Amino acid sequence: MKHPVLLLWLALQTVSPEGAQHMQAGMEAHKKGRLDTAIVEFRKATETDPNLVEAFLNLGEELMQIHDFGAAVGPLERALKLRPDLDAAHLQLGYALLSLGYAAEAIPHLERVHAVEALGIAQIETGQYQEAVANLSAALVKRPNDPDLLYYLGRASGLLSKRAIDTLLSAYPDSARAHQAMGENYFVLRQMPQAEQEYREALHQRPDIPGLQMELGLVYAGAAQWDKSEEAFRAEAKRQPGNAEAAYRLGSALLQQGKVHEARAELERADKLQPDMPETLYSLGKAASLDADFKLAEKSWTRVIALEKETSLAAQAHFALAALYRRQGKTAEAQHEMQEFKRLQSRIEAPRS
Amino acid sequence: MNGILTRRGFLRLATLAAGAPMFDVRLPKGLDFTLQNSPTLQKYLIETMPGGVALFDYNNDGLLDIFLVNGGRVTSPMALPEKFDRANPRYWNRLYRQNKYGSFTDVTETAGLANAGVGNYGMGVAVGDYDNDGFPDLFVTSYGKNILYHNNGNGTFTDVTAKAGVAGGGWSVSAGFFDFNNDGHLDLFVTRYMEWDTRHSKTCGGAWQTYCPPAEFPATTNLLYRNHGDGTFEDVSQKSGITAKKGRALGVAFADYDDDGFTDVFVANDGMQQFLFHNNGNGTFTECALESGAALSADGKPLSGMGTVFQDYDNDGKPDILVTVLPREIYGLYHNDGAGMFTSRSLETGLGTLTAGSSGWGIGLEDFDNDGWKDLLVAQSHVLDNVEAIDQSLHYLEPPLLALNQNGRFERADSGITIPVAGRGLAFGDLNNDGWMDAVLTVLGGHPLVLMNCGGKRHWLTITLHGTRSNRDGLGARVRVNGQTRFATTAGSYLSANDKRLHFGLGDANTATVEIWWSSGAHQMLKDVRADQFLEIREPEKS
Repeated sequence: MKHPVLLLWLALQTVSPEGAQHMQAGMEAHKKGRLDTAIVEFRKATETDPNLVEAFLNLGEELMQIHDFGAAVGPLERALKLRPDLDAAHLQLGYALLSLGYAAEAIPHLERVHAVEALGIAQIETGQYQEAVANLSAALVKRPNDPDLLYYLGRASGLLSKRAIDTLLSAYPDSARAHQAMGENYFVLRQMPQAEQEYREALHQRPDIPGLQMELGLVYAGAAQWDKSEEAFRAEAKRQPGNAEAAYRLGSALLQQGKVHEARAELERADKLQPDMPETLYSLGKAASLDADFKLAEKSWTRVIALEKETSLAAQAHFALAALYRRQGKTAEAQHEMQEFKRLQSRIEAPRS
Repeated sequence: MNGILTRRGFLRLATLAAGAPMFDVRLPKGLDFTLQNSPTLQKYLIETMPGGVALFDYNNDGLLDIFLVNGGRVTSPMALPEKFDRANPRYWNRLYRQNKYGSFTDVTETAGLANAGVGNYGMGVAVGDYDNDGFPDLFVTSYGKNILYHNNGNGTFTDVTAKAGVAGGGWSVSAGFFDFNNDGHLDLFVTRYMEWDTRHSKTCGGAWQTYCPPAEFPATTNLLYRNHGDGTFEDVSQKSGITAKKGRALGVAFADYDDDGFTDVFVANDGMQQFLFHNNGNGTFTECALESGAALSADGKPLSGMGTVFQDYDNDGKPDILVTVLPREIYGLYHNDGAGMFTSRSLETGLGTLTAGSSGWGIGLEDFDNDGWKDLLVAQSHVLDNVEAIDQSLHYLEPPLLALNQNGRFERADSGITIPVAGRGLAFGDLNNDGWMDAVLTVLGGHPLVLMNCGGKRHWLTITLHGTRSNRDGLGARVRVNGQTRFATTAGSYLSANDKRLHFGLGDANTATVEIWWSSGAHQMLKDVRADQFLEIREPEKS
């Protein structure tokens, strides 16, 4: 219904007086939001003038509006038969077919009008994941943060990833990458012994693969085996000295074991490699506090608050600062930070209650 | 006894280098108890929570006896109040009298402790001489009603709950005797877990069918009873300020953390902030854990607090707090910084490595190797009996944690227990009077583990307090021996009660200087006290 005046004008050029009357009545009913009446009038127009393409298009569009997709297909197909280049009909028919589950049939219509969002969704259904990712990404440029688009893009990416992994597992089941992929699956399922075994096998075959030791370290960290996670993260940090996450993970594992000096060094290194990472700064604050470097601790946690503002990590930083100030005998500052902690806690916990 | 000790000592020295275990794990002759928690498909939460153990010398024959609290079996779940088949001897609490050579005799029936009431599913036990008659009395907590058993001094007990007015109700868990107003009469603190009953029970975890986390049920208040000194108690929970805070309490421990002469209360809460009730000295308490730094983890997160101990781990003279929790948290260690402030020191003390994957219940800080530093022993096991199906990195059954204190940092040591168990209650005492601390650990659905310390050559001193102006057993006194400090209490751990005697490892020292600050305010100092003895110290009658 984008161009009702134009459509009406066009219709009136060739239509019978009776057909024109129904078209006009349909348009008026549409304007008033009386969709049922509009449908009746446009249907009468199609019956009066079976070659009146605008009547079929309008009828199809009205039926789409009331989500009667099955009924809309016929008029829209008729409109396209009468005028195959009618983009509006292609668009609506593509939507209708997609809604009815005929994704493959919908695709040519959606392709023709470059309806990238719907096209991407249809391509997910037909298993064209790579194309779906491309189209949904293009749609997301126009409508960033659209929840539906984000969902479908995530789904398409996941399915694409799964297909690639499935192919890998079936074609090269004993390869290092296959073991790595299996390790990742087990890790997600929290089946840590199996995950460890897969990563170990992958490392045995290809100790050069970047990230493998990090993933193994995360398995150990998930099971609170901090000594083993330290070993794995240390290997990763050695392999990738420029990787900030490896340094951060190693620093965190060291911190968990109370190895304060080493932890602090790694966390400072992570901070230099990638400044202003809130998690790194928070852990650096902890390490510095345990190392009795209260200035660095205060600086790190203050920066976390500046970066995070109202998140749970900011709340943690307020809590940590309160403890730090208490230790230093700065009562007023400690009370202020504790108040901020309580304020954020109540905000964060409020939606649950 | 000395000959045996010496032989043990040599044996231990000979094997220390090879990492000899600390304890000889035994099931002594006659100790035939099984903790009947009676798990059901309905996953009633009470099933995973018992049971307590007390080490106390009920007949004053010089040997510690063992009291074990049993659970029960639900027989009428949908009719409130529920019934638990406690008349059946299988579900009785049990008192075992220690015989001369380390065996035990079940004296439950003759002592009058058999049927704890069909409406009560047993939980924990507290020990204290509430009437100062020189014989320790028993307080047994339950889901249902609690029972105070007066020790008649002739090997029997009398249920005096009704007269005393301490039955309580709801779901009581850990309890402890302490003298909060320093009037010489032991008062009673009782933790309660949550508002729960079988009719309102539910399962969680979807298809896994697990016990529900505490947040699924409403929080509740704790109980404080003031001892009038005439055999009756007054419920002062409300007027003392204790009920101002609702929690989900499991553990309780006492100490005077700010050295103001009044005993304070730490309560371990499950899945929320911990409580520190500061004793205002006027019959009221103020909950101040958050402001004192003892409420949350170092990251400001709530802890699944279960067991707790309130003793000085780093020999700075001030009582610190330890709290056992669930995996992926770290057992909380709150260092007492003085001036009423605490700092989390879980990571610095090594607990991050030792405890992040474990679930802890009963806990104690005792000097097991007599080196002058209090060590850590923890009963461990996950709450969920099917936790492996949900997360394979977690374990329902776990070995207890033994960690030796190396100048304030804890390092794992071999306890001697090689088989993982569902540990719950844990009590400490010197069962064989050899100067080396032993322990008894309760196991869900199983026999208790008696951990007999293998001993060694280091020196020790064990002190029994005899209060005159203070309460009879001197609970609440602060005792310093060669730079170490203990707060006299039978409470702490989880559901359990410890030997009232105060044990100190002296290392190589042959003598000790003993200082006592009694709760009456009296101060006493003894110099050149010979090591390796059991010493009874009587409080001066006049200041």
